[in-house]
Amino acid sequence: MDKFITGIQNGYEVFIKGVQNIFEGFITWIIRIYESFYNALIPDQRYMAYLDGLKVTLLISFMAILLGIAIGVVVAILKVASSNYKIKWLTRICNIYINIIRGTPLMVQLLIIYNLIFNSRNTNELVIGAVCFGINSGAYVAEIIRAGIESIDKGQMEAGRSLGFNYIKTMRLIILPQAVKNILPALGNEFIVLIKETSVAGVIAVTDLTKAAQYVGSRTWDILPPLIIAALCYLVIVMGLSRLLSVFERRLSKGDRH
Amino acid sequence: MIVTKNLKKAFGDHMVLKGIDETIEKGEKVVVIGPSGSGKSTFLRCLNLLEVPTEGEIWFEDINITDSKENINLIRRKMGMVFQQFNLFPHLSVKQNITLAPVKLGIMTKEEADRKAMELLKRIGLTEKADAYPNQLSGGQKQRIAIIRSLAMNPDVMLFDEPTSALDPEMVGEVLDLMVQLAEEGMTMVVVTHEMQFAKKVGTRVLFMDEGKIVEQNTPDQFFDNPTHPRLKEFLSKVL
Repeated sequence: MDKFITGIQNGYEVFIKGVQNIFEGFITWIIRIYESFYNALIPDQRYMAYLDGLKVTLLISFMAILLGIAIGVVVAILKVASSNYKIKWLTRICNIYINIIRGTPLMVQLLIIYNLIFNSRNTNELVIGAVCFGINSGAYVAEIIRAGIESIDKGQMEAGRSLGFNYIKTMRLIILPQAVKNILPALGNEFIVLIKETSVAGVIAVTDLTKAAQYVGSRTWDILPPLIIAALCYLVIVMGLSRLLSVFERRLSKGDRH
Repeated sequence: MIVTKNLKKAFGDHMVLKGIDETIEKGEKVVVIGPSGSGKSTFLRCLNLLEVPTEGEIWFEDINITDSKENINLIRRKMGMVFQQFNLFPHLSVKQNITLAPVKLGIMTKEEADRKAMELLKRIGLTEKADAYPNQLSGGQKQRIAIIRSLAMNPDVMLFDEPTSALDPEMVGEVLDLMVQLAEEGMTMVVVTHEMQFAKKVGTRVLFMDEGKIVEQNTPDQFFDNPTHPRLKEFLSKVL
């Protein structure tokens, strides 16, 4: 009987010790994680590095989106119009642009444009990055917008023209407002891809969010925490953007359902 | 008012119009009938250059509109067009559909156009639909609004491309009634249709097209009672 009780007591002690060990291990693990994230963020005002990187990422993305939309709208309309009016050379130029951009990797385009076209000393890498991402995004945006325009019944164009509107006014007043509803979801997707792709901007010496994270990691000898912080930043931006887009979409589709 | 000289249109190798010489005078109501594929819609769509003719000339109010130096957009303002599929603008309300062209082309101020739109809507008894959107309307209502949308531009001629073909049978009447009213007011009209009763009642002249040519034309009475061309006789025996 006594033996049995000491047996249970021993077993209990071993069990408690085990739990304690696991618990202590867990605590030290948490503390280590906390410390490494603390090191990745706080000393030497390292959080400023992320914020500066974030600012650069957002700035490049924003400029690239604007430029991408501008190029995309123009190329899409040129392509649609030139195929309507049978201006073959214009269609061909648009197709060459789209094929080259879509057929080569973004990082290669970035390096080529940086080294070849802007090969002088006093260039602003940030602007080059934005221009390059904009040119890249333009090709995708053009295809999205073209598909959106062509999804509108051609009777709409005829009705507009028969009332006396010219081609451009019909596009602006009648076709594009309807096409936007079809374009927006795909366009939002393209923006999300664009924001994430700016993470390769580091190759042309732009200190964007990813580069900033790598920089902090090289200081702390602990690369993982900064990268996770950077990843969370991207996640927050993208989720915010998709929330914004769904609000837009809902507002636009209000006119549909009566 | 409209004169076509040796009008030809080909889609690729396929000749749809094989030389049409026709004169439409002011105030005429010309009804074009014919089997499908005879080129009657293409003929109509050539008149306001929605289809660009391959050969020949079209004169409208003494202007050669096939001349590339003429601004077709200005000429089209004077030619209303009504489509089989209505082609209302789904993103705009009924009133905006009517006022868009007069306002954006700078012909009327917003207030004038609004007043005109309400006048026209009152005429077809649809004032309560002014702020509705096209997809809330029935087919007959859509087509009547498409007609007054063209009328808002004060056109000199109205072109109708099978305006009742896409309608449910019980809605054909309301659209034809409006067209009869227009005719009685003296509007010059060119109507491509399968409604023989309308042709008899309203038409001042009926054209029969077959295989890209006008093979016979006459006043409605003569046209339906004494057809001469064998193709027309065959066609009438099938549709009447």
